[in-house]
Amino acid sequence: MSGQKKRNFQIEAFKHRVVVDPKYAEKTWKILEHAIHEIYNHNASGLSFEELYRNAYNMVLHKFGEKLYSGLVTTMTHHLKEISKSIEAAQGELFLEELNRKWAEHNKALQMIRDILMYMDRTFIPSTHKTPVHELGLNLWRDVVIHASKTRSRLLDTLLELVHRERSGEVINRGLMRNIIKMLMDLGSTVYQDDFEKHFLDVSADFYRCESQEFIESCDCGNYLKKAERRLTEEMERVSHYLDARSEAKITNVVEKEMIESHINRLVHMESSGLVNMFVDDKYDDLGRMYSLFRRVQNGLVIVRDVMTAYIRDTGKQLITDPERLRDPVDFVQRLLDLKDKYDKVISLAFNNDKTFQNALNSSFEYFINLNARSPEFISLFVDDKLRKGLRGVSEEDVEVVLDKVMMLFRYLQEKDVFEKYYKQHLAKRLLSGKTVSDDAERSLIVKLKTECGYQFTSKLEGMFTDMKTSQDTMHGFYSTVGPLLGDSPMLTVQVLTTGSWPTQPSATCNLPAEILWVCEKFKSYYLGTHTGRRLSWQTNMGTADLKATFGKGQKHELNVSTYQMCVLMLFNNTDRLTYKEIEQATEIPAIDLKRCLQSLACVKGKNVLRKEPMSKDIAEEDAFFFNDKFTSKFIKVKIGTVVAQRESEPENLETRQRVEEDRKPQIEAAIVRIMKSRRVLDHNNIVAEVTKQLQGRFLPNPVVIKKRIESLIEREFLERDKTDRKLYSPLLFSNMAFKAGNEILEETKQIF
Amino acid sequence: MKKEDTVKLISAEGFEFVIHKDAAMVSQTIRNMLTSPGGFAETEHGEVTFPEISTTILEKICKYFYWNLQFASGKQTEFHIEPELVLELMMAANYLHT
Repeated sequence: MSGQKKRNFQIEAFKHRVVVDPKYAEKTWKILEHAIHEIYNHNASGLSFEELYRNAYNMVLHKFGEKLYSGLVTTMTHHLKEISKSIEAAQGELFLEELNRKWAEHNKALQMIRDILMYMDRTFIPSTHKTPVHELGLNLWRDVVIHASKTRSRLLDTLLELVHRERSGEVINRGLMRNIIKMLMDLGSTVYQDDFEKHFLDVSADFYRCESQEFIESCDCGNYLKKAERRLTEEMERVSHYLDARSEAKITNVVEKEMIESHINRLVHMESSGLVNMFVDDKYDDLGRMYSLFRRVQNGLVIVRDVMTAYIRDTGKQLITDPERLRDPVDFVQRLLDLKDKYDKVISLAFNNDKTFQNALNSSFEYFINLNARSPEFISLFVDDKLRKGLRGVSEEDVEVVLDKVMMLFRYLQEKDVFEKYYKQHLAKRLLSGKTVSDDAERSLIVKLKTECGYQFTSKLEGMFTDMKTSQDTMHGFYSTVGPLLGDSPMLTVQVLTTGSWPTQPSATCNLPAEILWVCEKFKSYYLGTHTGRRLSWQTNMGTADLKATFGKGQKHELNVSTYQMCVLMLFNNTDRLTYKEIEQATEIPAIDLKRCLQSLACVKGKNVLRKEPMSKDIAEEDAFFFNDKFTSKFIKVKIGTVVAQRESEPENLETRQRVEEDRKPQIEAAIVRIMKSRRVLDHNNIVAEVTKQLQGRFLPNPVVIKKRIESLIEREFLERDKTDRKLYSPLLFSNMAFKAGNEILEETKQIF
Repeated sequence: MKKEDTVKLISAEGFEFVIHKDAAMVSQTIRNMLTSPGGFAETEHGEVTFPEISTTILEKICKYFYWNLQFASGKQTEFHIEPELVLELMMAANYLHT
């Protein structure tokens, strides 16, 4: 009796009761047929379920199942035909309601019929492979009622009409709509698709094709997108309210195709409101909308991304090649940063932080920053400016933010070694003039560079910091041992710099005033006494000096000047008038530097401690200079033209370039040898590719240069060409290959007064 | 036992068994009788007459209903069936879809 027991037995039908009455079947069926009529007429309350069930049960047991089943089909079809007629007769608006009501009734009746015929459903139908009662009821409803010639098209038209009215803003009876659609889905997904969905999608496509055409003629891009977005949400709402959930993808697809995909190019390039204008006007909402809508369409984002890339490249290129901008490197870099910030903001606010957009942004920056060969220099100048004064009084976090931004620009640079060159120069000037705002910020940036490019990149920069520290100790030692002997001669501060770590400048020495020369000699002998085997040379071009000067009316000022300027001014201790030639002879300062230094002494208003004849802005070789007795200043301390990092002049720039190129040679050669050592034999193109790969962290080597290096290596017998294939190279003489790095340690010194 | 929670089962001889609806619904047929929409007599009065089931069998059936509920809730006891009742009980089970 329990489930398990039952499985073991096959219940054989009731055999012992023999039907005597030949009209038994007919009589029993009559009872059931009557019951079905009553059920359809809502008169079931008097019926006994048990009796009906028993009758159906007995009919099946007594092999009248077939009669019962066909009787059911006939009776139900009969009723449905009547229902169909009454539905067809319903007028206008009432049509759907009547259909809905009859459907509900039919469902209920069907449920009851199935319950009383349960035994047939359970035993007779599976064994004869007939349609189960419930499904039979649905199929009959579909064939007799829904597919009745008039109803079918009328139903479709009514539904589409209602949808259209809702789209035009009318309120429709969504509940009714939902019930009818539900009915179609209950009748099977094919019924829903064939009788409704397919037509619905076609009509929608037509509708949106017309509408989008109309919108695009009359709206700007932003408004159009708003409308498209609203339509899209409306359709999704519609699906959730009364359509099959599976229709959502299909109908949104239709809207996307008609409203977005067909007009995508026109939208993006729309005059005065397209994508570019959105960027210009910072329309984050519109951009966000465009992103979320275009993302739905295949290739939609690709188009947006391409336009964005092209636009950024274009603006970047304009910015970077605009000679106006190049005049002020700090402003130039600030503009770059602003540009980056702007698009970062766009991507984070509107483009969902899309990785592909970030990549596009990065590659655009990389593209245009490297268009200008001076970018590395300018970025370094920007850092210089920030670390000299820009970051004074700024909190540590903010400093980090600025430095991180700089690093970001640095990452875009292809010629990182050029940046290093300039950075080294600027850092040297900052350190030597003591102008750096914060040591922490300097070190933090170096750590960043180190993580970005490795130890090699920053080791020299770190060496500079070490030198500064050692020099302090050396000066302590000097004054504690030699100090008493010096009397009241000028205070001397020397920074001992390691050659190689510091940007080497052609050491153009000048003639120092005698007092100072004496102290310098003292220091030199002290230093060489403690460190043997070293050589000191003075870098007078990088020092500064503080002078106490008394002017005509007895006003005293402290002048902060460069070493060169100091040399010039000291000459005026003995005389009031000197010509340019005389100064040049006495100091032996290189002409360019001398002119610059005289200019800052004589031609800057408020700082003109010298007077020049004739008065003019430029220094000519025939000029004469006088001590300016009438010099006045509000400040006791006057700072005159210190060594400020400036953008290089053209010849200097060329020179730096050459030095960089020179420095690259050993790097390229080292890379070639490294590669050849591991690969043994390689053809030319592969070497070039490998070398480029190895060095791209620092710069982009030029294939022609690589070729020259290879040739030079062959000449020096590090490599040889393959005997059979001239394109193949192989390494020779491994033992000879240690590259000289030029490591002789030369101590170069530089003084600061 | 509240009236609406129970159902009255009446045997061929007219004996009435009042049992919980939950128990009675172990039979799929009785479940349909009690839940079918549209209000059959049985649903309205809460009683079902079985003119073809004897009192003895119906009693056994009711016992089975309760045993089944316990069995389903994890109490694994044996349900004893007298051999002489087996055939009739099986026919009833087929009828009641139990």
